[in-house]
Amino acid sequence: MPNIRSGFVFDECLNSAFLAELFDGDTIYAETVFEDFLRDLPVYWQRVDNAFENENLPVLGTCVHTCKTLFGYVGFTDLQELCQQFENNCSVNRMDDLRDDYRLLTERKEKAQRVIEKEYNRLREYNEANG
Amino acid sequence: MKLSCIIVEDIQIAADFLRKFCEKSDLVEVKGHFLNVSDALEYLDREKVDLLFLDIEMPGANGFDLLDRLTYSPMIILTTSKTEYAFNAFQYHVDDYLKKPFTFKRFQESIQKLQLKSAAVQASAVAPPVSAPSTDTDFLFIKAEDKLIKLKKDDILFLESMRDYVKFVTPARNYITYSTLKNMEEKLIGPNFLKVHRSYIVNITKIDDIRGNTIYLLGNQIPIGKGHRDEVAAKLNIL
Repeated sequence: MPNIRSGFVFDECLNSAFLAELFDGDTIYAETVFEDFLRDLPVYWQRVDNAFENENLPVLGTCVHTCKTLFGYVGFTDLQELCQQFENNCSVNRMDDLRDDYRLLTERKEKAQRVIEKEYNRLREYNEANG
Repeated sequence: MKLSCIIVEDIQIAADFLRKFCEKSDLVEVKGHFLNVSDALEYLDREKVDLLFLDIEMPGANGFDLLDRLTYSPMIILTTSKTEYAFNAFQYHVDDYLKKPFTFKRFQESIQKLQLKSAAVQASAVAPPVSAPSTDTDFLFIKAEDKLIKLKKDDILFLESMRDYVKFVTPARNYITYSTLKNMEEKLIGPNFLKVHRSYIVNITKIDDIRGNTIYLLGNQIPIGKGHRDEVAAKLNIL
């Protein structure tokens, strides 16, 4: 769905209707948030990896919870749901039951990161062009 | 008048959004942002604010731990990405619950709701009628049961806070009104009334006796809060 106020159209994998409402046409702020996301996600995901390696399920759940919130701010609604499922599973499953889910989640996170890198560059170019 | 607030949130993007929304609304003034509960509590021990935007899941102590340790009752808006906390939120009498990420429209609705609530609390503390001979009357009116009820101050045993409501206890019956203890303390109560606990104001003329840190009056037991003991001792002329 195009962002009517700004004319910028987000990638189709993102919840563009929600992003349009969240940023309300403010593509400058969207650029800042996407930049912050790219800065913060690796830091938070490192904590996820550490918790997984240490097989600390409660901490793993909490760290994924934080990443879930971050994904929400850049419009990855479906990834938020996947994080929520994983977070719930951390409280009821054993580590061995989570390995496949963890691999899937990591793949999705990496794909998401690439999408946001691309969107960040597009936003930057858009903002420069519309200065 | 703007509500003063602090943001307690460990995710910087979420805190930045909140700050931006507060500025945009022009209804809320942000006094600070804290990444964890202990830093927020340190600030709240020194300063009072009208409103807390409070995340639940943070490193170390969580948002409910902060609420347990608060010594006064600002308005609370929980900001979380989990809906499972709704029951706890209800138990802690929080004023609203914003699921992250939320839009400015949802934020604005929440703030406007709080402003209305705040105004209603103020309005419910009805002053004595204009025709009263002086402001220091021996009665007051409270809004309860869809009417204004006249209560003689001398009939009141004590007031108990029920978060957004106050219970007036008299020998005959109890009345519950939509207000806060703070409001009652500031606006309605005369020299015979003393706050002895964060949740209780007592009519000192009705006290039967005091045992340890408990006040006994007409079959009721009221705790004396740790922070109120010196004031109680002074007011009651305890030798």
